Amino acid sequence: MRQSTTFKSTAGVLLVAIVAAVPLLLGPYAQSVARTILMYLILSVSWDMLVRSGQLSFGIAGFFGLGSYAAVLSAQYLNLPPILTILFAGIFVGLVAYLLGAVVLRLRGMYFAITTLALAEIFRIVIRNWENFTGGPTGTLLPKMAFNGDSVLTYLMMLFTAFIAVGFSLWFEHGKMHFAVTAIRDNEVVAKSCGIDIYRSLVIVFAVTSAIQGAVGGTYAQLYGFVTPESSFNVNYTLIPLAMTLLGGMYRTWGPVVGSIMLGLLGEYLKLFIPYGHLVIYGLIIVFVILFMPRGIVGLIQERFRKGGTL
Amino acid sequence: MLKMNRFQQIAALLAAICIGMIFLWRPTAIVYGVQRAGLYAAVALPMALVLGIVHIVNLAHGEIMMVGAYSTYFLSRTFGIDPYLALIPTVLVLYVIGVAIYKSTISRSVTGSELSQLILTFGIAMVLSQTMNLIATSQPRKLSLSYVSSSAQIGEISFGTYEFVFPVLAALMLIGMTYFLRKTKLGKAATAVGQNPRGSAVIGINVQRTYMIIFALSSALLGVVGSVFMTKMSIFPMVGGSYTMKSFCLVAMAGIGNLPMVVIGSLVLGIAESTIQAFPGGGGWSSLVFFVLIIAVILVRSFREKTV
Repeated sequence: MRQSTTFKSTAGVLLVAIVAAVPLLLGPYAQSVARTILMYLILSVSWDMLVRSGQLSFGIAGFFGLGSYAAVLSAQYLNLPPILTILFAGIFVGLVAYLLGAVVLRLRGMYFAITTLALAEIFRIVIRNWENFTGGPTGTLLPKMAFNGDSVLTYLMMLFTAFIAVGFSLWFEHGKMHFAVTAIRDNEVVAKSCGIDIYRSLVIVFAVTSAIQGAVGGTYAQLYGFVTPESSFNVNYTLIPLAMTLLGGMYRTWGPVVGSIMLGLLGEYLKLFIPYGHLVIYGLIIVFVILFMPRGIVGLIQERFRKGGTL
Repeated sequence: MLKMNRFQQIAALLAAICIGMIFLWRPTAIVYGVQRAGLYAAVALPMALVLGIVHIVNLAHGEIMMVGAYSTYFLSRTFGIDPYLALIPTVLVLYVIGVAIYKSTISRSVTGSELSQLILTFGIAMVLSQTMNLIATSQPRKLSLSYVSSSAQIGEISFGTYEFVFPVLAALMLIGMTYFLRKTKLGKAATAVGQNPRGSAVIGINVQRTYMIIFALSSALLGVVGSVFMTKMSIFPMVGGSYTMKSFCLVAMAGIGNLPMVVIGSLVLGIAESTIQAFPGGGGWSSLVFFVLIIAVILVRSFREKTV
């Protein structure tokens, strides 16, 4: 059992390394597609980490957008170098989420979900209206982009961020926190009576996952060089990671990873045929997966293996 | 008729004082606030039926209204009929859509976890708005009707009168729904199903059918609201999203099954919004007030429920 998991993880690492190297050989277009996919991959993984505790957040776009603005504004006002702005975005959004989470995580289930949706809206409205600080509805420009927008280096930057996020999620999956969080999802009362500090665990998970989303927002700002309220807080950044995670399979790290690579490639292909409204596919995927395969693709594969007795 | 505890009594008193002061300062803020509140209440009341009475979480609420508005738009443009005439086929279409959505998706998750219902209806919302985006593009659309710009003058202030159609609509809906829930067999069955689905099945209520009819009814009501919405407002495929949120918050605020509180909540928020807009430069910030107020109220509510 122990051996088979180490074998599996080595094989996994090798596979990931090969997949990660492919865009380097295929040129700038493949790298730009891969950057976008990695961006969604990190968002999906971070969303899944929170969902493992049973708390559903519709606020991905909010923290993402806040992070992208934090990166641009910190470069403008504090003259931070590009890489540090990403770090700053992560830490800033993490802090905001920690403070908000301390209040909002008293709520559960649908109340929490809707409140995160409202929070995302609040961030957007504040940034839109605070014109002399954020540039208002027209957005604002980044003074200097990371690596001057070099395709290979920015791809490696995204890859590095993705490795950190996935690594963190894996570590999280095998740590003490994982048991606490799963217990909370399954039965809060039992979890509490086992001595788990539910509130504290949830606030920490919420802050960390939001920090990751904020950092991704920062890398987005570094990739495109400008931010506007409409592009940074776009509902896509909530919808697409959700669809990707569901398709891959919730409650495990490899689910969102597989889902985002598959849907990312498919989405790029769909854009050629349906330039507007290709998002309808993502909506359909969400509905279909919830109804007919709630465990996602990775879940289905695991089930198949279990039936074959190869575990 | 209104059941209020001490907390609500104090809140109502404070609200009344605030409204009095605003009325002395800017009377138009009150007029516009009431009109705005009427719209919020009219959109939120069908959700009070679905979420408050039979406990189905539906994040596609505003999107269903959006579909109703588009249906009215296309009917009145292609046949050249008045939107109020187009309302009748729209209501029928929306009832059928409601049945279709319920049968094909929600019926499978109605007994499932809240989490999957939330994700499912979020997916439905996206399908509806993006499909409309494919059909009608994201270009905003508006009907130009002569009678919607009527206005009145009292003393020195003048204001639009057509918008009073929203409070009237909300009042009619409140009366109709209260009658439906109290007096009709189906309404009583719906209340019973909401309180205890298994118990209702035991005493011979067809639970699935009740869920379906209530969902379709609320969808048809949203068709009415969408048609009236279309007469005055301009629409685009994403118009519904914010109404879903506002309706949810109003229903959550009012408490499960408390229809009159939905209307009162809408009044408070409508007037608060239009007051902020009365300040110079407050236009963009008014929507923020809505969200902040709403989060505050949901939090207060959750704290009180914990302590009880």
